[in-house]
Order: sequence, then structure tokens, then C-alpha cells
Amino acid sequence: MNNIEIVQKGLKKRYAKERRFKAYGVFSIIISLSFLAFLLFDIALKAAPAFTQTYIKLDIDFSHKVLRINEKSSYTKDELFELPYHKLPSKSLYQLFPGIENRKQKKALRKLVSSGVRYNLRNMVIKNSKLIGTSKSIWVLADDDIDSLVKGLIDRNIPEADRRVKDFQIAWIDKLQLENRVESRFNINFFTSGDSREPEQAGILGALKGSLYTMLITLLLSFPIGVAAAVYLEEFAHKNNWLVDMIEVNINNLAAVPSIVFGILGLAVYINLFGVPRSAPLAGGLVLGLMTLPIIIITTRAAIKSVPPSIREAALGLGASKMQVIIHHVLPLSMPGILTGSIIGMAQALGETAPLLMIGMVAFVADIPQGFFDPSTVLPVQIYIWSDSPERSFIALTSAAIIMLLVFLFLMNLLAIILRKKFETRW
Amino acid sequence: MNNNKVELDQQLSETVGKPLINGTPKITCRDVNVFYNQDSQAIFDVNVDLAKNQILAMIGPSGCGKSTLLRCLNRMNDTIDGCSITGKISLDGEDIYSNDIDPVLLRAKVGMVFQKPNPFPKSIYDNVAYGPRLHGIATNNSELDDVVEESLIKAGLWKETKDRLNKPGTGLSGGQQQRLCIARTIAVRPDVILMDEPTSALDPIATATIEELMHELKSSYTIAVVTHSMQQAARISDRCSYFHLGRLVEVNDTNIVFTNPEHELTENYITGRFG
Amino acid sequence: MLNIGQHISQEYNDELEDLRNQVLSMGGLVEQQFSDASNALLNGTINIAQRVTELDYQVNAMEVAIDEGCAQIIAKRQPTAIDLRNIFTVIKVVTDLERMGDESEKIAKFASELSADTNSMGFYKNLKHMTFIAKKMLTDALDCYARLDAKKALEVSNMDAEIDAEFEILNRLLSTYLLEDTKNIESILKVTWCARSIERVGDHAKNICEYIVYVVYGKDIRHVIDGKLQDDK
Repeated sequence: MNNIEIVQKGLKKRYAKERRFKAYGVFSIIISLSFLAFLLFDIALKAAPAFTQTYIKLDIDFSHKVLRINEKSSYTKDELFELPYHKLPSKSLYQLFPGIENRKQKKALRKLVSSGVRYNLRNMVIKNSKLIGTSKSIWVLADDDIDSLVKGLIDRNIPEADRRVKDFQIAWIDKLQLENRVESRFNINFFTSGDSREPEQAGILGALKGSLYTMLITLLLSFPIGVAAAVYLEEFAHKNNWLVDMIEVNINNLAAVPSIVFGILGLAVYINLFGVPRSAPLAGGLVLGLMTLPIIIITTRAAIKSVPPSIREAALGLGASKMQVIIHHVLPLSMPGILTGSIIGMAQALGETAPLLMIGMVAFVADIPQGFFDPSTVLPVQIYIWSDSPERSFIALTSAAIIMLLVFLFLMNLLAIILRKKFETRW
Repeated sequence: MNNNKVELDQQLSETVGKPLINGTPKITCRDVNVFYNQDSQAIFDVNVDLAKNQILAMIGPSGCGKSTLLRCLNRMNDTIDGCSITGKISLDGEDIYSNDIDPVLLRAKVGMVFQKPNPFPKSIYDNVAYGPRLHGIATNNSELDDVVEESLIKAGLWKETKDRLNKPGTGLSGGQQQRLCIARTIAVRPDVILMDEPTSALDPIATATIEELMHELKSSYTIAVVTHSMQQAARISDRCSYFHLGRLVEVNDTNIVFTNPEHELTENYITGRFG
Repeated sequence: MLNIGQHISQEYNDELEDLRNQVLSMGGLVEQQFSDASNALLNGTINIAQRVTELDYQVNAMEVAIDEGCAQIIAKRQPTAIDLRNIFTVIKVVTDLERMGDESEKIAKFASELSADTNSMGFYKNLKHMTFIAKKMLTDALDCYARLDAKKALEVSNMDAEIDAEFEILNRLLSTYLLEDTKNIESILKVTWCARSIERVGDHAKNICEYIVYVVYGKDIRHVIDGKLQDDK
């Protein structure tokens, strides 16, 4: 048997091995993709109901009598603020379903619409006081249980005792539906309001803005400090110096420290020592910035290291000073890497919950934060809060919030890619 | 083994040939020793002169210290941690390692071209204009244009690039890139140009154009070139120096070095024998 | 002194060695030629004279072959320093050897013509010494080349003065013969030509010695005063 024959004999086996090797890779990719697809599909499916809301058309009577106010040419804001708006939807509902005397049923009837309707009506009246004394058909928000019923999420076949919606409520809704008084609309509320105990009134905007402010603080803290530290360590610090080595080791360790430790640190230093307002984006941003710092330093150093020494030499050889070399050449050339690293670090910070628990950002905050010092929450914490809430509709809201977080992350990564492309230079 | 080393030390103790020149040299090196991290010495007692408007070639096996010495001439070694130098290197009679000499200023006078063409990832124009901008040589845009054009003409690159000055310098061919680097260097208007194996990454035709360019540049600049190609040293240089284990073994007119070298080590090296 | 070997490229070593061997064997042939020619002249053996012409073909062919070898080495190896001087010298030595071959052929030709003329016998006794020196010079020069002995080469090249002096004397002697013996003018002229050729062989041998000095010391000693050079080295 000559050489070629020996080689040929083993060839088939070798190719089979190669094919198997390739198949393992394809298999792994399929597995991970299907996990991801399943996850996304599941979330999307669960989130879908959260993007629509049920509205009920009520004929609201803004008469002076109901509002218990005397007829005047103009009203002060305070006067309008105090009026008994809660009676408006109730009265309208009583008119729609006359003859209900049972107190329990009456209460159930009132609860067909959201408890927040009164505030909406108040806002309407304050905005336009001419409404007083008139009557108007208005679409008002339905209660979350009714919403679930309309969306078909509540099974009518299970026994009444196990259902959150009673038979008579179902009868009312069916009647309203026949009268075309029930409608499903896009859930604008979700994008425009803050958190609420009532699922139908709860929105993501508070958490979104909280995240945005927090990320801004994180960026402002960690990016300049991280880049400056990396530049110093890479370009100026003496090699083989024990102090520099120590700093390096510590930075690498810092990147591996559990994030909750940063939260404790933030609580002890920022809030207790420096008196930074608790639950504020400032506190959260400072803590997350601290957490992101080592990541930015490490990635920036790697990016600076990857700038070819020939470019440095070329600039030095032309008589550029060290700073000019760094500003003119090293930083622009490493910018894509620095940006990618920073955004990865930011994305990680965006998804971080643990350290924020320690500084009080897990609190229930219904107001939308207007600045860096207002109490607020962030997206992942909002998800955590909602997933912990008992009402059925929060399941959908949790998934919707997850989608928002993913969209936020996606946008950040997109920004990273765009910046990278913009600063990238071809060699 | 130890005996061999002593013998070699004796053999190499003094530079043969004509290391020093009559008249006023452009650059003089006297008793130059270079150390890396105290314990390892890269260059031992080098004495050599560079004559004005001449090309000095530096040849020798890898690790012989020729590049190190070249980099000492514009203090590029300052950027290396733990590199120290004793002795005296003067440019036009002025010690370049004295405290009143700013390395940045020195490098404007003593330009450098590197082994691998290393244009900045910028346009051709910006590459050449970088040095003049840095040093404020041109005060306005039209002056800058003139400097760029003049430098590119001198580097023999004007004809090829005048219509695409805004294209990236990295898009040129290897030889063109190296000429761009030379143009970039002469745009700063140096007196001396140091070249560290300027053609080792180029094909023979591009090498020939660079060599021709060096020949032309000789009339305006003093040039020191490190090369691994003995034939190149023979072709382009006026004087040729041979380094061995950190010592300058022989310096002489290139004609003499390549026909009748004095030192056996030089002879072995240039004829391709094992030392 | 000359270490052809020790190049990093073994093939280069072989090429140089080969070239050198060819030169030496060509030298051997020329030596044979001259020796045959002078024997033919001095002893009147015509059959030997014919051999000289045959050898000349070989010598010429070798000259061409060696020149080509040199051209190839220059083209392929770009020799420097000692190698360059060596190749350069080979080219020169080969030319001189070929000329000596030509001179020997001339001598052989005259020898066969003179052998017919019994009257001329007396004239070439005077050539004997000159021939001896020339032969010694040639042998020594080739020997020096083989060993690259520059010192000996310098001595050998000085022997040329002796031949020149001998040639001078011979010229004067033959001039007197010419005046005295007008019948034998033709033979006397032929002997003069032979003397001239032998003197030329000496000159060529001297050239070879000078090239050897050039190879070894890298100094061209042609057309310089000998004493000065010896001071230098």
C-alpha cells in the first residue's frame, strides 16, 4: 500500500469527522436561536394585551346639581379641584342600569370603570370649565378586570365563585357591548403615565425617564473618567511599576465584583455620607457609573493597545508631543473600540437591578421624574415591581415592560454600531 | 567561551576605517553607549560622523544595534522605558541630549522614515500637512497648499496624487505610501532624514524608486539609512558602517567597504560567510 | 588566506571552488604548452610543436567557459569584497593565460620553421636561460595563485626584470648577428620574435602575480614602484 492509498483510506473518516464538527456548531446555533425565539415569542404573546385597553362610553352629566356647585361666570382652579367627580361615572352607570338596589351589586357596577376616571374628568373640567352644566358622551377607561373579560382572558365557563368577574357583571358588559358602548383602543396610557396600583392606569414612562436620567449620569461619570484613566495607564504609566500593577489588578477585580456590593457602597457613601437624595437618578447613576467604570477602562485600554505602534512612531517622528499623538491619533483610532466598550458597559448598567435595590430605587413611584433629583425607578426595577404585583393585568404589563427594555437596549446597540461605523477607519 | 568573548572584545575594541571625517560633520557621535534597563547594553562606545549631504548606510546582522543608534539620533529612544544613553551626540555641534534641547524640536530637524509605510489613516493632503500644521510652519491655507505640493514633488509623488489629494493615504500602493511618508517627513523641512529599513516591505521596483529618491534628496538633506540589504547599502550610500554585537566595527567609503573591507567581520558579513 | 568556503550558501562555495579549479587546470595546460613550445624550439622536436597548437584549442575553450562562469556568478551572487576581487582576478588571469597560450603557439610555429634551418642552431642557445626564467615564473605564478601566496608572488613578479634584461642582451646580440650574417636575416628575425614571445610570457606571468597581490591585499600594484608597495604591507 503506498502513501496515497493510506491517505485515501483515512480520508472518508476525516471528512465525516469534519462534517460532524460542523454539525455540532449548527446544532448549537439552532438551539440557542430557538431558545431566543421562544423567549421573544412568549414575551410578545404575553405583552400583546397590554397594548390595547377597553373603553366604555358613558353619558356624563356635568350638571351643577351633580357637581354640587353654584352657577357662576367663572371658577377658580381650587374650586374646580374639590368637586365630587367620582359621582359622575357612577351616576351615568346607574342611569344605564336602572333598578339595581343591592349595595354589593351597586359597588360592582361603579367598579366597571377605572377608579382613575374621576381624575380624567377633573382634568377635563379644569381645562374647560364651560363643560359644567352640560352633558356629554365620553369614552372612559374600563377597570382592569373588565378589560381582561373583554379581551377574553377570563374564562366564562369556570364557576362564578372562582372568577373575579361575577355573572351579573358579564351580563352588564354584554349589554353594553350590544349597545356599542364598549371599545378596544390602543393603550396610549402605557407610554404616557407613571406607575400605578391600578394596572389599567399604570405606564412605563416614569421608569423610562428614570432609566434615561440614570444612564445619563452613568455616562457622564464613567466615560470621561474611564477613558482618562485608561489613557494614563496605557500611555503614561511606567511599565513594571508595582503601583501600576496593583491598580491594574484592582481594576480587573473591580469588574468582577458583584453588583450588589456597589449598591451597598452607594448607600454608604453617596446617600449616607454625601447626602445624595435617595431613589433619585443621581444616586442610581453614580452607583451604576462606578460599576461601569472598570468595564470602560478595560475595553478602552484594549482599544488603545490595538492602535498600531507605527502610527505613534510616525507622529512622534514628525515632532508631535505625546499629548498630540494621543489626541490626534490614538484616541480617534481607538474611538470605535472605546464606544463599543462603553455602550456594552452602559447596556449592562441599564439592565442592572441589584445595586439599585440598595439605594431605594425599588420604591413605588407614581410620578414621572422631571430631573436628576426626583425619586424615580428604572426599567428593570419596574419589571421587578410589576412581576410581583397580584393583579392579572400586570402579567401583560410586565412583558410589555420587558419589550420596552429590549427596545431600549436595541437602540443603544444600534447607536453603538452607527458610531462604530462612523469612526471606523480602513487601513 | 569566556575566552572567546574577551577575544571578541579585543577584536572589536576599535572602529577601523574612517569613522571620523575631515571638515565639519552634520552629526557626530562620541563614545555613545546605549543601555536598556541598566543591565543590558545595546551599543558600545560608538564614534562616528555623518557628513552633510551624504548618505551613511548602517548594516549588520539583526540585533547589532544599528536601529538603536539610528533612533538615538532623533531621540526616538526617549519613548522607550528604561532606555538610557551615555556619551555625546551632536547635531551641528550642539549636544542633542542636553537639557536645553527639546526632543520635539529636534525631531522637526531630524525626520524619520520607518520600516513599514505608516501613513496616517487620513487623506494624502492631511498626511503631508500634518507636520507643518503641528509646527505652525504654514500660516495660511495657500501656504500650506504650497508646502504640500513642494513636498510631494520632492518625494516624486505629485504627478500620481495631485488629482486625489483628498483620498486616503492608506489607499496608495506600498511604494507610494512610503514616498508619502517621505513627503510627510520633508514637509517639516528637516536637515537630516533617518530611514529605518525604508524598503524592506517593498517590491524591487518600488525599492528602486525609493533609492532613486534618496539619491535626489541627498543634495538637500543628510541621510542615515539602516538597511538589511547589502546591495542596497552598496548602491545608495556614500559611506557605509558595519555594526556587530553593538559595536561599530568599520566605517569607510562605500567603495572601499564593498571591495576591500579592512575588518574580517565586515568582510565575512558582506560576502555572506558565517562569522 | 583565501577561504572560498564558509559561505552560508554551499552552492556558492562550490561554484567558486569549481571556477578556481578550472583556472588552475587551464594554467596547467598553458604551462604544458609553453614547456612543449620551448622544448621544440631548443631541441628542435617538431612533433611536440604540433601538440602546442592542439592544446591551444583546449585553452581557448576553457577561457570562454571560465569567463561565462564568472559572468554567471556576478549575475547571480553579486560578489563583494574578497569574492569580487577573486572573480575579477579570475577574469584577468584567464586572459593572460590565454595570451601565453598564443605566445607559446607562435614560438612552436617558429620552432618548426627554424628546425629546418640548420644554420640557425647557434642562435637559440642564447634563448635557453631566458626560457628557463620564463618557465619558472609561469610555474611559480600558478603556484602562488593556487596557494594565494602574495609574498612569493611579489618575488616572482620581480623576476620579470631579469627576463627583460636578458631580452635586452639578446636583442643586442641578435643585432650584431644581423649585421654580420646577412644570409640568415630571416632566421635571426624569427629567433628575435621567439625571444619577444618569451619576454611576453614573462610579462603575463608578472601580471598574474600582481593580480594575486590584489586578491590578497585588495591593492592594485600595477604601474607602481615596487619598493613603495612593500613598505605599505
